[in-house]
Amino acid sequence: MIPLRLKIETDAVDPYVVRLRSCEGMPEPLANVSSLDAALATADGEKALFTGAAGSLHLFGIDPSEVDGDVVFVVPWRKTAHRLIRANSRHNTLLITERCDQLCVMCSQPPKKQHVDMFPFFETAVLLAPENSTIGLSGGEPTLFKSELFEFLRKTMKQRRDIDFHILTNAQHFERDDRAKLRDLDLSRILWGVPVYSSDSTIHDHIVGKPGAFDQVRSNLSLLCEAGAKIELRTVLMKPNAPGLLDLARFVTAALPFIDTWAIMQLENIGYGRKNWHSLFFDNSLGFDLVSKALDFSISRGIDTKLYNFPLCTVPADYRAFAPSTISDWKRAYVEDCVDCSLRNECGGFFEWHPKVHGYGRFGVA
Amino acid sequence: MTVWPLKFRERRDGKFLLTDDAGGFFLSDQSFLERYVGNNLSSADQTFLRENGHSFEWEGDPDWTAFAYRWARRQSKQQELSYVILVPTLRCNLTCGYCQVSRAPETAQGFDWSEETLNGALRLIGAMKGPRIKVEFQGGEPLLRVDLLEQIRSFARARFPGSQFVVCTNLQRLGEREWAYLDQADTFVSTSLDGDRNTHQRQRTNDDATTDAFFNNLADAVRRLGPGKVSALPTIDVDEPPDFEELVGNFERYGIQSIYLRPINHQGFARRRRSDPHSIAKWNKLHSSFIDYLIDQNHRTGRYVEEYYFSQCLRRFLRSGADDHVDLRNPNFFASDYIVIDHDGQLYPTDEARMLSRIGRVDLSIGTVTAGIDQAKIQLLNHASLNNFDPDCIHCAYQPFCGTDVVDDLSRDGRIDLVRTDTWFCQRHMRLFDKVIEVISRRDEPALRSVAKWARVPSWGDHMIPVHT
Ligand code: SF4
Ligand code: SF4
Repeated sequence: MIPLRLKIETDAVDPYVVRLRSCEGMPEPLANVSSLDAALATADGEKALFTGAAGSLHLFGIDPSEVDGDVVFVVPWRKTAHRLIRANSRHNTLLITERCDQLCVMCSQPPKKQHVDMFPFFETAVLLAPENSTIGLSGGEPTLFKSELFEFLRKTMKQRRDIDFHILTNAQHFERDDRAKLRDLDLSRILWGVPVYSSDSTIHDHIVGKPGAFDQVRSNLSLLCEAGAKIELRTVLMKPNAPGLLDLARFVTAALPFIDTWAIMQLENIGYGRKNWHSLFFDNSLGFDLVSKALDFSISRGIDTKLYNFPLCTVPADYRAFAPSTISDWKRAYVEDCVDCSLRNECGGFFEWHPKVHGYGRFGVA
Repeated sequence: MTVWPLKFRERRDGKFLLTDDAGGFFLSDQSFLERYVGNNLSSADQTFLRENGHSFEWEGDPDWTAFAYRWARRQSKQQELSYVILVPTLRCNLTCGYCQVSRAPETAQGFDWSEETLNGALRLIGAMKGPRIKVEFQGGEPLLRVDLLEQIRSFARARFPGSQFVVCTNLQRLGEREWAYLDQADTFVSTSLDGDRNTHQRQRTNDDATTDAFFNNLADAVRRLGPGKVSALPTIDVDEPPDFEELVGNFERYGIQSIYLRPINHQGFARRRRSDPHSIAKWNKLHSSFIDYLIDQNHRTGRYVEEYYFSQCLRRFLRSGADDHVDLRNPNFFASDYIVIDHDGQLYPTDEARMLSRIGRVDLSIGTVTAGIDQAKIQLLNHASLNNFDPDCIHCAYQPFCGTDVVDDLSRDGRIDLVRTDTWFCQRHMRLFDKVIEVISRRDEPALRSVAKWARVPSWGDHMIPVHT
């Protein structure tokens, strides 16, 4: 695993955001943000010293070349720096809040009550991000702080026209007036990832732990459509919703034809997903029929449908083209049986926190 | 609850296909139809209609918005000009029976682009927005003027980051310079292969030596240029169709799995020769049996050959957008995304319009490459070029999937204010969509497999077609 938190020491008192630069020959930084860089001054086996306008910063236990270009959030009193944006990762996600109004049965990051407003720091971080990055915004539920979120997007998107956003939201909090605010943004650069688990409102509401959530997400998806937003519909496949997947496919094609992508996702063994694993995990290697019919249907109607986080060998050969490798390499792992697998190059394997007894009845390529 | 208007068509088995204006569809029966028409929908009917996207509660609700979106996606839009069809010469080194009108003898004078036309064409291409453009060379035999082709290609390559060239050639006589032209990553070959050898010789090459030369060159082209670079079209005479097995075998031999069967082009001399009013019925029958043939044959071989246009219609029936084929769209705007520049610098909206004008039936030129596009004339054509308000199409269950072809109507009947269902275009498409419906509801393994391939989905079955009784 790649460390996301670094041990540091600094003479500063207040938290701040800074970009680390440890290599020569880096492209010249943007003039207006170069004051936010800290350059490598000295390094030995265990610590590295970076200096810049914000003062000096000691980093422990990491090779400075590995953090080159990273944007970190320094919290002096905790003696830590959070790597908000890692320069050589295409998957950087900023956690807007830990609060959420839903409580999904498989939540990978169960919500917490407290909230710390990080927007000012995130704004700086985005300005320092590498060119053409896609920044994920997640939570918790980011739109609980909707006006701050819109303002953040408005400002950063204006200053960094090369940057795209991927925002995960339960879409419970949009209102009709938001359409105008949405249209003020360059919506071609934002992908809204919105979960819908079932076309049966009872099942959906049960999964997200909120009565009325289905009706709300339905009308707000419509609102996003009217605004012209790009939508990635996300469905985690589980025992409670797998039997209704074909119905959901019908619903998507008839009622949500405006989405850009439909991602059907295999469950992550983390957070509540781990706690509830046995009641939730759906073994698609044995019951692919439920998935294949839904895929056939939505693809035939022109919906770009993909399977995320499915080990390739658990998917019948005809459907593998729809299962791209989606687990980013820094959190990807393979199991023992994968050693001689011919599909390994195209396969995303498992999340590294997935149990080694992987739970698939039919596994490996014959 | 308000139900969007449904249109229906009875099938041979007594079942009904019902569709709405946004391209939603399902199969049902007589008794549903009576409940629908009699305003007697049961609550099961209402649930089905709501879930299948045919109804809404109030204007602007999510069901309404979804329907509006699907409807809008079914309409084709005006696009940026990104595709030119160029006829640098009308001269040709073959004399195919069905083509006299769009050719001149190889040695004739005055059938090639002038310097002025070349410059006009370059100006027109240069003014296109890009970044991706497509240039198709037609003729005559365009390779007779490979020098012009070279000039156009180097200009387009320098001007646009993505350009693609298609040479529609008879592949009859190729020297080193012609081969060198074709053998480039951005350049593709489209040729005619009229099925089996006998038919090809009868319709195109006339004698053995010429036929041999063609087949040798075709084999060389496939070998030298690589798979996917050569496509071929068979032109079919419904009175003397080629043998299906030989036709498909011949195409597969050259690595071509998508075959676009085209009836002999009626524009031009061919039209005068064949004015058989039953020819459309014959064509439909032939086409339909070709589809059945493919289904069986594909199942036997495990290789999946398609009839190109049928697959287009099939996918267009199922979904909007992606397969916006120029021969089948609605509204069908002229000179929107593509335009034809003839050998004399005249502009035409389509290649058929060019041929039709050439026989003096009606002047469908829409300007000249030097004076520019005649917008007034395009407006006039565009007015008639949509089926949404056609008094016959509005009642037709296939309207959202179908298109319109003013030029075809003009060429066959000399006018456009026709009873739609009497036209060749309508009769052809009515049967095509009937065939689509027939084939997608077949349950036998061979049909399921071919339909899945043609629809570009992993598998096909009962779950793919909504049925309500
Ligand atoms: S055996 Fe491992 S590498 Fe191969 S497809 Fe399965 S999960 Fe992927
Ligand atoms: S042309 Fe014929 S098949 Fe097409 S929509 Fe009109 S009536 Fe129907």
